[in-house]
Amino acid sequence: MWTEQAECPAGHEAWQPAMIEVQQLTKDYGFFRAVDNISFAVQPGEAVGFLGPNGAGKTTTIRVLTGYHPATSGVVRVHGHDVLADSLLVRAALGYLPENVPIYPDLRVEEYLRFRAALKGVPRREIRSRVAETMDLAGVVEVRRKLVGQLSRGYRQRVGLADALISRPPLLVLDEPTSGLDPNQRRRVREFVRDLKGRHTILFSSHILSDVEEICDRIVLIHHGKLRAEGRLEDLARDLGVAELRMRVAVPESDVGELLAGLPILGQPATSVAGANLVQIRCAIAPDDAQNEDDLLGECYRRVRTRGLELRELSLHKPSLEELFWQLTADTERVAESGEGLPGDAA
Amino acid sequence: MADAASIAVPRSRLWTLAKKELFSLVVSPISWIILALFYMLRGAETVQLLLNPAVAQNGDVDGFVMGYLIGAFQSTLYMAVLVPPILTMRAFAEEKRTGSLELLMTAPVRDYEVVLGKWLGAWVFYAILWTPTVLILAGLQLWLGLDIAYGQVFTSCLGMMSLGSLLLAAGLFTSSLTDNQLLASLTSILFGLGLIMVPPQLAATAHVDVDSPFYLVLLDQANVARQLQLFFFRGHVDTGHLAFYVSTTVLFLFLTVRVVESRKWR
Repeated sequence: MWTEQAECPAGHEAWQPAMIEVQQLTKDYGFFRAVDNISFAVQPGEAVGFLGPNGAGKTTTIRVLTGYHPATSGVVRVHGHDVLADSLLVRAALGYLPENVPIYPDLRVEEYLRFRAALKGVPRREIRSRVAETMDLAGVVEVRRKLVGQLSRGYRQRVGLADALISRPPLLVLDEPTSGLDPNQRRRVREFVRDLKGRHTILFSSHILSDVEEICDRIVLIHHGKLRAEGRLEDLARDLGVAELRMRVAVPESDVGELLAGLPILGQPATSVAGANLVQIRCAIAPDDAQNEDDLLGECYRRVRTRGLELRELSLHKPSLEELFWQLTADTERVAESGEGLPGDAA
Repeated sequence: MADAASIAVPRSRLWTLAKKELFSLVVSPISWIILALFYMLRGAETVQLLLNPAVAQNGDVDGFVMGYLIGAFQSTLYMAVLVPPILTMRAFAEEKRTGSLELLMTAPVRDYEVVLGKWLGAWVFYAILWTPTVLILAGLQLWLGLDIAYGQVFTSCLGMMSLGSLLLAAGLFTSSLTDNQLLASLTSILFGLGLIMVPPQLAATAHVDVDSPFYLVLLDQANVARQLQLFFFRGHVDTGHLAFYVSTTVLFLFLTVRVVESRKWR
């Protein structure tokens, strides 16, 4: 039961049940195991990125969450209700944007949203104003008289988002809302979703990592139907391992060791010639030291300046979500092959 | 953020779903083609009846009304069999093909509401399709002063709509089985043709009574052509016939609900 869960924030005054609670969820399609014993929880008000490569089981998990497909085993609760036993309550509590936004092409945007509002139980008197408000919010007012079938992909996505929002559900489940969009459309959708943060709990499924990084506080990463990582982005990035200090400086290669002496670097720095007199230096920095980014870079700069060297580049590269994604989801053989060399293991 | 108390199971969405289905049929070009064909056929029949010597020369206008209603049996019965499958072929097949069924079923609606809503929407459209048939009679009454037995008109409509209910439900059922509209419509058209052709054949070759095997009795009961021709079109309503239509309609709707639900067992 969620009431006994360890995740319950201690001393939280108005404690609420988790918005999404997945316990040991397994889903088989025939002999194929799409989702294998995963558990995670999403607290009210959170924006959680649901990551995984194509075919990892994201959409399957989401379909179980929305009650479209039942779980083979495990317990899934949304807004405190079991998705099977109280399916209607669960569906009333969530706004869902499926992948590819399958909406009726023969309806006009406004008609479609009115239909969906009525379907989702928006009181009849409020439908007109609610639809107008939501179209305004999603930026589809200018296409309200257009047939859905004639809309561009970006607009269709926004109509889908408007539909998900129309009943003002506490939970939004968005399945790859930015896939297949051009950069401008992606940006608009991303900004729109980011603005919804705080007002709605959001489960944001995607494999476009920059979108997830911008929108979500926390991620749940699955691969081959199994849970691979769960947690706050900063924590995961730190656990992931070493950062890289990069310098391009006019210094003889023989003096590099002396220049870097005493800095918290791991192993030997790698150097390469980067033009006349210039040397490119790369060295690994332990995660804890990488936390004090300003101190580290400041110290490097002072050293370069006191020696009167010409400096072209000085930066600290922390592991990105993309690297995390790669390490956790690249095929097993590759990980086994280079597993020992993974920076994550060094940390 | 909405709190737990504000989330409640919504009221029935039956009428909302039916309206949507009706709307989709009204804006679909196929419906208008059907409508046009339907009335070309109906019109040709009417003209032929009006030119009939008995009506045109002897002024046997009552014979016209009789012929108009019973004569409907010939070509209109085929229309009655062909039209419902085309109206319902898209209902689930199209939603499955485009994936919109997922969006529909993840809204707070019950499976049976979706099935009933789609059936009701198609039924209303089908009823609208038949309305001008009655309006023609009302027009002739107005212009020619015909004495029309509206009871008979009513039972004729009742018969056609009963058969329509059954075929629309069967059409929904076949549509729910596939994501191919053509397959859905062909299957239910074959069912409809079988329904109007097989039992009369049987009636001509075999004598059926209470001691006959069950399947023969069943086929005899399913003789919709005879039910229409000898009963509904002549102003007789047999509750046994009505029970046949109601129970088969309910059966197909029930099967459709089970098919829609079946995504949960797979």
